[in-house]
Amino acid sequence: MNILSTAIESAHATSEVSQGVTLFFTFYLVAMIFCLALEEKLHAKKSLIVGLFAVGALIIGTTFHIIPFGAMMLPGGHAIEIPVYIPAIDWGVIAIIVGSSVFVDVTSRSGLFTWIAVKLTKASKGDPQTLLWLYGIMTVVFSAVLNNVTAMIIVGSLTAVSLGKLERTDKLLGFLLIEGLLTNIGGLLTLISSVPNIIVGNAAGISFLTFFVKASPYVFAATLLTIWMGAKVFKIKRLTTPEERETALTKVNSFDENDGIESAGFFWFGTLMLVAFIGVIATASVMPFVRDLGMGYVALAFALIMLIRFKNEVDQFYKAVDWDLIGFFMALFVVINVLEHAQVLALIGKGLSVIIGDVENALGTGALLVSAAGFSSVTDNIPLAAMLAKILGSTGTPGESPLWWAVIFGANLGGNLTPIGSASTLVAVTIIHKYKLPMSFGGFVVKALPYALIQIALATAYVLIFLR
Amino acid sequence: MPRFVAQIPIAQPMSKVDQFESVFRAALKDPFEYKPLEIKRAMLVTDLQVDQANLLAEELKSFVESAICGAVSTWATVPGAEYKTTVELLARVEHEKPDLIIAYRNLKSEAWKYPHSLGEFLDVLLQLTSAPVLVIPHPDAGYAADHSLGACKSVLAMTDHLANDYRLVSAAASFTEKGGKLILSHVEDQAVFDRYMEAISKIPQIDTDEARALLTNQLRKGPSDYIESCRTVLSERTLALDVRAQVTFGSNLAEYKSILEKDPIDLLVMRTKDHDQLAMHGQAYPLAVEMRAIPLLMI
Repeated sequence: MNILSTAIESAHATSEVSQGVTLFFTFYLVAMIFCLALEEKLHAKKSLIVGLFAVGALIIGTTFHIIPFGAMMLPGGHAIEIPVYIPAIDWGVIAIIVGSSVFVDVTSRSGLFTWIAVKLTKASKGDPQTLLWLYGIMTVVFSAVLNNVTAMIIVGSLTAVSLGKLERTDKLLGFLLIEGLLTNIGGLLTLISSVPNIIVGNAAGISFLTFFVKASPYVFAATLLTIWMGAKVFKIKRLTTPEERETALTKVNSFDENDGIESAGFFWFGTLMLVAFIGVIATASVMPFVRDLGMGYVALAFALIMLIRFKNEVDQFYKAVDWDLIGFFMALFVVINVLEHAQVLALIGKGLSVIIGDVENALGTGALLVSAAGFSSVTDNIPLAAMLAKILGSTGTPGESPLWWAVIFGANLGGNLTPIGSASTLVAVTIIHKYKLPMSFGGFVVKALPYALIQIALATAYVLIFLR
Repeated sequence: MPRFVAQIPIAQPMSKVDQFESVFRAALKDPFEYKPLEIKRAMLVTDLQVDQANLLAEELKSFVESAICGAVSTWATVPGAEYKTTVELLARVEHEKPDLIIAYRNLKSEAWKYPHSLGEFLDVLLQLTSAPVLVIPHPDAGYAADHSLGACKSVLAMTDHLANDYRLVSAAASFTEKGGKLILSHVEDQAVFDRYMEAISKIPQIDTDEARALLTNQLRKGPSDYIESCRTVLSERTLALDVRAQVTFGSNLAEYKSILEKDPIDLLVMRTKDHDQLAMHGQAYPLAVEMRAIPLLMI
């Protein structure tokens, strides 16, 4: 079945748009992506760049009469007037991101994450290779449970401090690079581990549990492979003499895992709430009532419950929310909505059908994964994921299609090809530079390329063999 | 640094990196390591006649051996006639290789009558020898405290940087009699703190009250954690000492005078060596000059 062609035809049927307008907005999209790629050169935040494009897209779209205005009909049959850019935004995604980030921020104040991090450091007994394995696994788990930027910040800062204490700063570059690469693998573990997962997973109707069951074998294999390669390439070896082991043990034992715990009660409450959060998110799609309210409701509810502990200083946590990211998403959804009305997504869908073929096939799925990875290595993977999710959704692609997984794996793993491919690898490179370690853009690509290529090849094989 | 990174506005993630680095650095606490002073050879430097010097040596031998709960196998007494210059005295120290030097202020001088200096010989012993120096009240002066050189049941170790100073604490513990009281004190200089706070109060980006509270807390926390570690380790070594903490802000001299007035201290232990200079550690000198009534162990 030609699923893309069918959907493109249906999209055409809903709105008559001239080819000129479609082409104009296609160039508009290219210009926006170009500006996002040059974010650092422009010295402007993502939210402002995309916000300005959203403002422009709305007024131009209105001028061209491609945006449908009018009252909206609610499920109860009640019609309401609402600004056209409000329903354009996927509020479910925004709610998950805001709720999760506040929840994670408040939970981290319990000292739970630093406790885990220090406990693992001590468990390594100061042996560099054991430390790499434990930090690597911790990076993946933290990326999955928190988000990849927070995971990189926690693990990266601990790595710098602990290797400094162990007088092994010569291995810091290798550790940080491997951890940076592992954040994007950990980001594949659950539906809420990364924004592309949330967007694509929501669009495809993939539940938290299904996502975890399907993605975890790959995450497990890729993690082991990446750490094993990292230990070989960066010559991170075990301690050999009893004297070395004893000295290292004394040094790591000087960490006090309880130092960051201000209140034992809040520590245990935070632990309990984190377990409950993961449990409820995992079963949100089958839990009565909760399934109707969605994961965004769960994230916001847990965040608010946690905030009770800091009821007189909640504003501090609101300030900690990455409003640039939230503004970026909102503006992006608006731009994509206008592009949809301008038939740009249908046009890209036609282009995609050339890559993936008229019917779902192995070559096309693999090509989609590789091209998604390539594209997300040089620009933000969120617009890519949002756009492809919209296109696949509008073409009626079934939820069990491997195409969704191709987008998810490609968008996440592409971040490992360049230092600007994902926010977490950028944080890793920034910590590397903070410690005055040599690492240029090209240097990162050269060092990361073997890992990224193997991870992408493994993902392609995995999607084609196990997820088709 | 490549330009692409230097230009990226990543204030938020980097401030969080710094935040977590601070958390992990705070969790890093060097535990106290007890390395007791081993005093097998002691050397008493005096400006007395041989007989008087030997009498003093007997008195001190009893004090030292009682304090360290052990015997000093070799005891050398240097009367005033055996050296004329600091060079000669240093040569004698080099020859004896003592684990502990005992002396008093203003050797071969009448300046001991005034609390103005330590004298050239003691200056040299403190700065140019590696052995700890026990400075006793001048034998001719009448200002020694009644309990001075009696027992060593109450010892005060003082510094403005107590954390990680295992040598100072080990020395103080070594000189505290079994069952005695060991006060580990840390005085943060209030004047320096106030000066930094005044500078902070002029920086709009920093909340002054919050900075004051956080800084005060952190400056107290380091030494307090270290004292806790000392207490644990000394207890594990079954030294049966009553370890007490005294962490305050103030002026060093005033704070210690106040402690000494409140509580009879048998021995004051302090650091004198300053690796950055030949002269004695800045805060040790005035304390050593003024605290003349009790013995001082200078590390």
